[in-house]
Amino acid sequence: MDIKQIKQIIELMKRSELTEFAVEDEGFKLKIRRGGNGLPVVSQGAVSPPPFPTSVEAAPQAAAPVVASKDEEADATYIKSPMVGTFYTSASPESGPFAEIGAKVTESTVVCIIEAMKIMNEIQAEAKGTIVEILVENGQPVEYGQPLFRLK
Amino acid sequence: MIQKILIANRGEIALRIVRACRELGIKTLAVYSEADVQSLHVQLADEAICIGGPRSADSYLRADRIISAAEIGDVDAIHPGYGFLSENAKFAEQCESCNIKFIGPKSSVISTMGDKAKAKETVKKAGVPTVPGSDGVVDSESEAIKIARKIGYPVIIKAVAGGGGRGMRIAHNNVSFAKEFHSARNEAEQVFGNADVYIEKYIDKPRHIEFQILADNHGKVLHLGERDCSVQRRHQKLIEESPSPFLTPDLRKKMGKSAVKAAAAAGYTNAGTIEYIVDAKGNFYFIEMNTRIQVEHPVTEEVTGIDLIKEQIRIANGDKLSFSQSDIKFERHAIECRINAEDPARNFIPSPGTIGLYYAPGGHGVRVDSHVYGGYVIPSHYDSMIGKLICYGRDRKTAIERMYRALSEYLIRGVKTTIPLHKAIMSDPVFIEGKATTAYMEEFMNRTPPDLFN
Repeated sequence: MDIKQIKQIIELMKRSELTEFAVEDEGFKLKIRRGGNGLPVVSQGAVSPPPFPTSVEAAPQAAAPVVASKDEEADATYIKSPMVGTFYTSASPESGPFAEIGAKVTESTVVCIIEAMKIMNEIQAEAKGTIVEILVENGQPVEYGQPLFRLK
Repeated sequence: MIQKILIANRGEIALRIVRACRELGIKTLAVYSEADVQSLHVQLADEAICIGGPRSADSYLRADRIISAAEIGDVDAIHPGYGFLSENAKFAEQCESCNIKFIGPKSSVISTMGDKAKAKETVKKAGVPTVPGSDGVVDSESEAIKIARKIGYPVIIKAVAGGGGRGMRIAHNNVSFAKEFHSARNEAEQVFGNADVYIEKYIDKPRHIEFQILADNHGKVLHLGERDCSVQRRHQKLIEESPSPFLTPDLRKKMGKSAVKAAAAAGYTNAGTIEYIVDAKGNFYFIEMNTRIQVEHPVTEEVTGIDLIKEQIRIANGDKLSFSQSDIKFERHAIECRINAEDPARNFIPSPGTIGLYYAPGGHGVRVDSHVYGGYVIPSHYDSMIGKLICYGRDRKTAIERMYRALSEYLIRGVKTTIPLHKAIMSDPVFIEGKATTAYMEEFMNRTPPDLFN
C-alpha cells in the first residue's frame, strides 16, 4: 500500500460516517480511527482550523488522524531529547559514535551529546533496549521532546 | 538589520508579534511548550521549536532553552511579549551577552524600574509627583509608625518585590498599624522571598490611569496618551479605554509631560508604561513603571493609529522614531474588553476545555486580537485570557454602543467566558457616565445578580 492509497482512504473516511478502518497485508498493518480519543467530533460547519502537524506521537485533535502501525514498531521505545540544542553522535569529530545501530543500552548509557550555548551535555538513554534506528543526523538542531533513537 | 525574531511567549501576544513581523518582512521563530503544539502562532510562524513540557516553569520560563533555541535558530532578536521573562533583568542581560537584541529596554533599566522603591526614588528626583510615603524600605515597626503618623492615615504597606496585589496591607489608625505591618512583611516573605516593605498614603477609590511611552535609542521620548484601566477585579484589569472619561485636557497635558519626564529620568528606551493613581480632585501620583509592552496596547494603537509592536522592533533595530510629540493625534475613542475563559456566575472559576463553535464579531470599528479558533483546546496551564475585543469610534458613546453590539455577536461555545459580564458593564449607567473608579467592580458585582451572566 502506498501513500497515495492511504490518502484516498482518508478522504473516503472524511466524507463518510466511518469511524474505523483497518487492513492487513503481509508484514503490514494499517488502522485509521476518527477522533483519536473516542470523543465525538464537535464542529458542524465551524471555521476550519489551520493544518495540524501529523506525527506518530502527537494527540489527534479533529478529523481523521492516521495511526499507521507496522508489526516491527509494535514494541518501540524512543529516546527523546531532554533539551534544546545541537545533536552530535560522538564526543569529538575524531572519536567514534557513542551508540550505533544494534548497540545495547541501559538507563545510564551515554548515547549522544547535545550542545547548547557552547556546553556539551552527555545525554543518557534513560531506557533499556537495543538501538534499531538513529532518527537525527550529526550536527542537526533538535528541540525538546524530539525523538533521537528508536529502541527495541 | 533585524531579519529574524524569536518570540518568547504564547497565545494572543505571540500571534500579535508574528503579524507585526510579517508586515515588516522579518522571519519568525516560535518557541512553544508541549501544551501549545496546536497553537495558532506556532502554525503561522516560519519556524517553531519545542522547548519543554506544559508547565511554564518547564518551558516559557526556561531562559536557557529559549537562548539555546535562539542560537540554533540563528535569530537577531528576541521579543519577550508580556509576563513570563519580559521583565526579567537577568534574561535581558543573558540576551545582551549572547549578542541577541532584547526587544525592550536595557537590563539595568529593567532592574531599577522593576524595584518599586527604587523606581519611585528615580522619578521623584525628576520632579514627578509620587504618593507621599517612606523614602524607600522601612525596616522597623517604630520607624514605620512614625512615618505613618507623618503622612496621615489611612496608609498602605507594600512589598518592594510585590505585584498582583499581594504583599499589601492597609492600616487605618495607630492601633491596627503594627498588626498590618507585620502581616504585610510575612506575606511578602512567603510569596516573593523578600520581606522588605515601604509605606504610602492610601488613596481612597482612585482611578488607575497610565501613559504609554515610546523612546528610541537616540534620546527621543514621547507619550502616546493615556489609558484608563480603573475597571479591575482583584487588581486584574478587565476593561481599558482611551481617552479617560475623567481627565480634562489640562490634566492630560500635565500628566503626559510628567510621564515623559519619568521615562527620561529612568534612561528608558523602547515601549513602556507609566502608571498613575488619580484621586477625585485630580491629584495624580506615580505608582510604578511597566518596562514591557502591555496587554492593553491595542487601545492606544486604535486611538493614535501607531503600531506599537512594529515601533518596538524598529527601536530595537536602532532606528530613530519617525514622528514627534506634535505628530501624534488622538482622534478616536477606543475600549478594550479582555475575554477570559472564566465563569462570572461562579466567582470567575477558570473554564479550560475545547472550543466548539467560534464566531468573532466584525464590521466597522471592531478589532479582535485572539489566538483561538473552533476546535482549539484551551490548556489549563496558563492564564485564562483567550482574546481581546477592541471597539473604537469617533466618541465614547459610539465606542460603548459598538462594543455592546460586537459582544452580542461574539460566539464562543463549549467554554464559559466573561462576554456576558462585559455586556452587563456596557449597559451599566455608572460605567456609561464615566464614573468608574478602582472600586467599581466590587460595587457592580454586589448589585448584579449572578444569573445575568448565564
